[in-house]
Amino acid sequence: MGRSTTVASSGRWRLPSAVAVFLLLPLLVAGSARAADYSLSSNTYLRYYERELAGGNKNTFAPLYEYLSADAANLGGTPVAFHFYGWGRVDLADPSGSGKESGDLGSAYLEYLHPKGNAQLKLGRFFLAEGVAVETLDGAFFKVTTPLGFGISGYGGAPVEQSILDNVSPGGSLYGGRLFFNRSGATEIGVSYLKEKGPFQGKDRELYGGDLWLRVVPAVEITGQATYNKSTRGMASQRYALRIVPGGRFDISGGYEAYSYKDLFQTALHPIFISPSTPVDNADKVKTIFGVLDWEVVSGLTLELAAKNIRHDKENPGKANRGEAGIRYAFNERKDVFGLSAAAVTSDREENEYQEFRGFVSFSPSKFRFSIDALTQQFKKEIEGKKRAHQVVASAGYKVRPYLSVSGDLTYTQSSTFQQDYAGLVRATLELGTATGGTK
Amino acid sequence: MTLRAPLAAVFGAVLIALLSGCSAVSQTPSVPPKHPEELSAGRVNCLDCHSDVSTGALKPYATVRHSRVFIDAHGAYARQGQNLCSSCHSPSFCQTCHTRKDEMKPNEKMGDRPDRMAPHRGDYLVTHRIDGRLDPGSCFRCHGNKNDVRCRQCHK
Repeated sequence: MGRSTTVASSGRWRLPSAVAVFLLLPLLVAGSARAADYSLSSNTYLRYYERELAGGNKNTFAPLYEYLSADAANLGGTPVAFHFYGWGRVDLADPSGSGKESGDLGSAYLEYLHPKGNAQLKLGRFFLAEGVAVETLDGAFFKVTTPLGFGISGYGGAPVEQSILDNVSPGGSLYGGRLFFNRSGATEIGVSYLKEKGPFQGKDRELYGGDLWLRVVPAVEITGQATYNKSTRGMASQRYALRIVPGGRFDISGGYEAYSYKDLFQTALHPIFISPSTPVDNADKVKTIFGVLDWEVVSGLTLELAAKNIRHDKENPGKANRGEAGIRYAFNERKDVFGLSAAAVTSDREENEYQEFRGFVSFSPSKFRFSIDALTQQFKKEIEGKKRAHQVVASAGYKVRPYLSVSGDLTYTQSSTFQQDYAGLVRATLELGTATGGTK
Repeated sequence: MTLRAPLAAVFGAVLIALLSGCSAVSQTPSVPPKHPEELSAGRVNCLDCHSDVSTGALKPYATVRHSRVFIDAHGAYARQGQNLCSSCHSPSFCQTCHTRKDEMKPNEKMGDRPDRMAPHRGDYLVTHRIDGRLDPGSCFRCHGNKNDVRCRQCHK
């Protein structure tokens, strides 16, 4: 059966225990632990905010979060690695979620990377993106490419239903695979399949997919993905794009994207969104034409433009256009960035129209780091009595040691949700490792 | 016991692949599991050091330069393979956003990194109504195909 990852209050020590077990596991697996390369990343956040409730009561929230990832590679001198990622929350004041504690085991798996042909094997809990699959799975995954460029991948196991709520109906099992052909620097084409057994609106979930990357000439490439939902007998989604990328400074892409609510959201669309009183129609289909440009005009200064035309089959929400323009300037050896952007959405229906302006800058003198990020939105039609929303995030940090940084954020928000809201966050980041090399 | 048959098939396939793998696997060297050189802070451009296609990388470095174009379409490339990504990014990098259950928004975790393309900036309780009406497929990419329970928290 699929598994819920929710760690309820009753399982107070479940997540810490899981962390301890999984961190010790590599030592058991490896014949010689000394040969391994270890890295550990800890991000600790303490948030503080207050909320006024109906009736004039005020709640104070101070959730403390720990996000931990640990990797042990080259176990026993072999190309075997162990990866762990999880997070937990403890509330130091009023409960900020369902209970005063929560957490999630995101991944914990053994990985074998063959030194040739990018062949690999994974075993445990892992995030999987392969063909039509974008899943978290308790199971196994393998991938292998032959000398002729043909390859195969396969996976199977129990799907992990990562839900904020308890008692979510999970799928029973999930399996699938992908057949592909690739030629380095020229093309990759694949067909894939996924089946998840479960009560998804009365049916299993069964998808067929195709994917393509083709470099037509050195600076021009075509990508395409299409997914067919066999359970609903319809094309779930398609995306095709032409991209011109002649080097490291200019990149432009345009394309077409389409999806059908009924076929894409087979398992997700809650009846509340399908009822006659709400505007979401499960028979709706979306077709989008898009274009994106990224051009480093001079060293460090990048111009970004994006445009999108969205057309729904149904009159509500109908058609919409989104246009964006922005500049980014990277300085201080690219450690810092200054950016300005503006976006506008026009639509058949004025409740979907708005404009957005954003400015941000970071500055990192020596061991300090400061940043400020301001965003303002103007809606054409009032949302709960307000036409404007603003948010400013100011951050200051200090690198205590090469492996330890601390920083604090102050966020001010004014919107239809918040009259005036101040929220604080303190962040501590610890990065330890025994090997050199990049890990961003 | 619905799990048994598919798992047996997968493990059988893995076994066959492993048994025949040594001779059948492409002899092209794999992408190193970890980038051999330290990477500088901020956004890195592979083309500063690399040119065209490196052995094992399969796709040109210009293709994976982290421009706005690539970031918007990164899922298309990731679904064909993540070896090149994981050479520079930690294995848990994807789960900064593709986590489904997480309680902290990516832009809250990275409040000190306004340069990052973190979704849900501002009061997203307000703007999600518009995104949800115009392009609900965009929610799907990170929140997953079964996570309407997140919607159900408020839309009861």
